[in-house]
Amino acid sequence: MSEDSVAHNQIEFETLFDALNIGLILVDKQGSVLLWNDWIANYSGITFTQARNVKLIDAFSVPLPVPFIAAINRALSTKLPVVLSTALHKFPLPLFNPNGTGERISQSIIVSPIKQKQGELVCLIQVTDSSTSIKREKMLRDHSESHKKDATTDPLTGLYNRRFFDAQYAIQLAQAQRQNSTLSLLMLDIDYFKNYNDHYGHPAGDSAIIAVGNCIKGKLQRSSDLAARYGGEEFIVMLPNSTASVAQSFAENIRHAVSELKIAHVNSMIASHMTISIGVSSCLPGMIVDQITFLKNTDLALYAAKQKGRDQVQYLPL
Amino acid sequence: MHNLTDHHLDALSEVFNIGAGRAAASLSEIVSEEVKLSVPSIEFRKCAELSAKVLSLDQSQLGVVRQRFSGAFNAEACLLFTEDSALEIMRDMMGSHISIEELADFEQEAMCELGNIILNACLSAMADMLDIQLQSSLPHYTVCNVEDVIRSIIGVEDQMYTMILHIDLEIERRQVNGKLIFLFSSSSLNMLRSQIDRFLKIL
Repeated sequence: MSEDSVAHNQIEFETLFDALNIGLILVDKQGSVLLWNDWIANYSGITFTQARNVKLIDAFSVPLPVPFIAAINRALSTKLPVVLSTALHKFPLPLFNPNGTGERISQSIIVSPIKQKQGELVCLIQVTDSSTSIKREKMLRDHSESHKKDATTDPLTGLYNRRFFDAQYAIQLAQAQRQNSTLSLLMLDIDYFKNYNDHYGHPAGDSAIIAVGNCIKGKLQRSSDLAARYGGEEFIVMLPNSTASVAQSFAENIRHAVSELKIAHVNSMIASHMTISIGVSSCLPGMIVDQITFLKNTDLALYAAKQKGRDQVQYLPL
Repeated sequence: MHNLTDHHLDALSEVFNIGAGRAAASLSEIVSEEVKLSVPSIEFRKCAELSAKVLSLDQSQLGVVRQRFSGAFNAEACLLFTEDSALEIMRDMMGSHISIEELADFEQEAMCELGNIILNACLSAMADMLDIQLQSSLPHYTVCNVEDVIRSIIGVEDQMYTMILHIDLEIERRQVNGKLIFLFSSSSLNMLRSQIDRFLKIL
């Protein structure tokens, strides 16, 4: 469209303003309303006819907040644009969701002083509904939190995963050696799990892993104790500040609890129900040992428990 | 170099402290707490001399609010806070309005508002004193590292000079320091100098 035809057709700016999906209010230097688009009318319940030529501070049935009025005065006196953020002014204008819920909407506002051709100064107030962006941000935050959780948990059992354990293990071992305290590790493995899977099928195998995982979780008492799923049917428990004997009786507790679950296991070579073997190892005060050696020793303790007939706890000193 | 005498600097320093006082009053109104804002020192430098050391900002991540002013002279204004202190200010200002978890979401917009108040107050105080008209763009907030900020400042063609204001902001007994940097072309700086001369003669 050429400039001529635009001029010829005389675009009615008011109809354009009414089509916008943001609120527009134009006030003159004295603060009287010159323009009030449909968006503002919808969200305030006050028509342009009602608000026209009324002082903005009197246009609403409630008094407007002092910082909002100050911002308009500042824009007019400095002739510089002013922004009002949602965070610092949640509800500057009494605007409500027109969907009938009566919910007050949070707003972001830009106040722009505009010089007219005649030298008159007017002030354009742009209002956006920030409640939708607040909801969107909240959704994104929830997503990122669930991602964070995904990165540390084993999806099947809800226990921590191996990656998280490895990171915590490094921290705890360093701390134990620094503070001269004991750190104990338990490595747990379901007996004849392959036979179980072959006979009952994978879904049943998964259920059994969940049941054992819950059993271990239920035995943890201190917030510093940590249980993780280490491999297929293998779990690991880390007990900071637990002596070797406490760790062994803790392991015996878990072994007993799993046995008491009485999960039928017809292909187990040692019982009619599901059992577990546990290897225990402790890094005692004053011991200097690296992560791999300590972990390997715990694995050897588990191996010993398997060798000696399964369904038992074996302790192997470092 | 920039031909600004101590008289010029004194006049500017006075005017920016008036602006800082106005900004503090506006901020106090928003947070319902006493806010103190002052401009203890001001210096001019060539853009090329700008470095993290000159700005005495040891932290790498900065929150930056920018506005472009135009009129009797043109200047780009950047308000810099270290990202940590920007978050601290926001936390204090929002107070009970908002939970800390929600803070990150609103940081950008709220920093724009804070920066806008300080920048407008300083610039309008200067415009009032020199009796000139200035317009401004809307504020824009970014988080970036010191090197990027300096590179973006040095990279602006024609903007040869910087005026650096050191800013002390105190909210709820928490003290944070920021920097306000104005970028001028040499012609804009000349314009500014002659405006100040005119003002000093009127006095």
